Amino acid sequence: MSEFLAAFFTVFNVMLFQNTLRTATPIVLAGLGGLFTDHAGIMNIGMDGMMLIGAFTAVMGTYYFQSAFMGIVLAIVVGVLLGLFFGLFVIKFKSDEFIIGVALNIFAGGITIFLLRTLTGVKGAFPLPKSLGLPTVSIPLLDKIPIINELFNNNSILVYICWLLVIICYLVVYKTPYGFRLRAAGEHPQALRSIGVSPDFIKYSASVICGILCCLAGAHLSLGYLTQFSENMSASRGFIAFACIIFGRSNPIKVFLAALLFGFFDALGLRLQNIIPANLTLIIPYAATIFVLVIAALQSKRKSKLSELKLNKV
Amino acid sequence: MREFLNELFTKRYKYDFSYILSLSISILLALILGAVIMLILGYNPIEGYGALIKGAFGSPRGIGDTLAKTVTLAMTGLAMAVAAKAGMFNVGGEGQLFLGAMAAAIVGAELTGVSPIIAIPLCLLAAMAAGGAYASIPAVLKVRLGVNEVITTIMMNSIAIYLCVYLSNGPLKTTERGIASGTQAIDPEFKFTRLITSSTLTQSIFIAAVIALVVWYFMSKTAQGYEQRLTGQNYEFSRYSGFKTNRIAIISMIISGAICGLVGMFEVFGIHGRFIESISKEFYFDGMLVAMIMRYNPIGIVVISIFFAALKMGSTAMEMKVGISSELILVVQSIIIFFMAAENGISRILKEKAAIRKAKREYLAAKAGNV
Repeated sequence: MSEFLAAFFTVFNVMLFQNTLRTATPIVLAGLGGLFTDHAGIMNIGMDGMMLIGAFTAVMGTYYFQSAFMGIVLAIVVGVLLGLFFGLFVIKFKSDEFIIGVALNIFAGGITIFLLRTLTGVKGAFPLPKSLGLPTVSIPLLDKIPIINELFNNNSILVYICWLLVIICYLVVYKTPYGFRLRAAGEHPQALRSIGVSPDFIKYSASVICGILCCLAGAHLSLGYLTQFSENMSASRGFIAFACIIFGRSNPIKVFLAALLFGFFDALGLRLQNIIPANLTLIIPYAATIFVLVIAALQSKRKSKLSELKLNKV
Repeated sequence: MREFLNELFTKRYKYDFSYILSLSISILLALILGAVIMLILGYNPIEGYGALIKGAFGSPRGIGDTLAKTVTLAMTGLAMAVAAKAGMFNVGGEGQLFLGAMAAAIVGAELTGVSPIIAIPLCLLAAMAAGGAYASIPAVLKVRLGVNEVITTIMMNSIAIYLCVYLSNGPLKTTERGIASGTQAIDPEFKFTRLITSSTLTQSIFIAAVIALVVWYFMSKTAQGYEQRLTGQNYEFSRYSGFKTNRIAIISMIISGAICGLVGMFEVFGIHGRFIESISKEFYFDGMLVAMIMRYNPIGIVVISIFFAALKMGSTAMEMKVGISSELILVVQSIIIFFMAAENGISRILKEKAAIRKAKREYLAAKAGNV
């Protein structure tokens, strides 16, 4: 019994929740980006590729300028370009969103490996010195409180920015004229046109915001979480973020909570590696994603049935 | 066979001429872009593409490898197309391939000593059943609950791959010495014979040819294929027309998964003789690209697979001889898709502009006439 308890506490301890916050951050960032395109009526399954390119440019920028700040700036610039590129195809050329998304993912996988090999001559992973990673923020008073300190203090700066962004995105989407127009662009573009706002412009802006946030998510992966770029390091996190958007119905707060849930499963897998073979624990976040999607679908099905019943009564 | 040739060369495909033209232009532009990238990085593009062509077609072995790659590409491409025509995007072929390979390897090892005439069909069935069953899960979830199949299939890729890697390193690991990971070897009697010495081209090409013909016949000649197409194009219309749309979608996914499982079996029985971790290097995604480029047309997929197989096999030679990373070809491939996707939009925009100009001219002419 004591053995079991010992094993239990090697898994369920403060580290688990600390890991949860850290692994959730890239998913939160990508999810926040994706909910903008989702509100604008664009299905963006290219987020994984955007993250990968973001992770790559962040590392390359940091390496060439010897500063993580420049890495982030470069990732943001590339994010804007990616958003415009995606928008050009999906909005201007009206290409199939699915095809463009898939092509973007494959393109990202190819171009990052190709550039990594030709620019640095490295195959597999390109590590940076730890000192070049994102700076961590220590909040002065927090270090007096034991568990809270370990959880919320000394995280990389992007983690705090990410939490801030959750609130900002919520306010932007639900409390500003822009958010109103964003939602209208997806649901009723004609209405937007009638008040003289171009729905395409709104869609482009959503696409660019998505590009920036996905690249930031990638940057956190390669500079905050680890300090290296490795081939295909996004590991389908962009798709998990997409699942979070579906589960959270594109509401920033709910998407954040959904991402925390996945971060928890991810962290749980990491912690369980001491007990169960790593290849099995790696399955956990992916299986959890499917499970959660099924629950979300069941819920919405029940809701629509309920509303049908109500209509029948009336 | 005659019908197949007729279809290929006669009027039915004539209207696709503009498509073939824009495809050729896209491929050319993408290759030029590839050359520009080589130039920027200080390589000689003529040398690079020269090594590529020589690697793909320069020797019997090269030709054999290219044809073998064509088999994989065409099969995975057809798998994608079968599902996509019914409106299901099966992005999970990689996982289905892994499971098919694993199932075939297990059955192949279990049946050691049995006559190949009995054993090989059983292994075929096992691989197809594993792939098909795995593909049916996201299909049912999509049809019954509306769960996005793109996400579920991608998640299921990772699940299947990690599971197979775990099995081949853990419970099912071979007892043979000197092998780091992999399942028990199958009976050497079962292995497909190589058609060209030291190339990877095996008898599997004949099985693949049969499957390709069946898929083409099913998709373009049968009533089911017609219903499938309509279901993919307009789900609601098909449902109200009395088609069993749900069943069509699920069956299409199962066929798609079964073909992927078969590709996994080809790798085991043709090359490795057992399941190994690196059984597939994202083969399915290459096939998906091919299918998307050819807009899920089965004949087109088979034909263009030869071209992309040559690019793929040649690129390894290019990497070895000239030092250009073979991932460049992946970039070129995705650029072709971007071009093809843009072509649709650009020609539409040009047409719209022309129509507006024409309307303006007519309006002005009418105005001038009135005055």
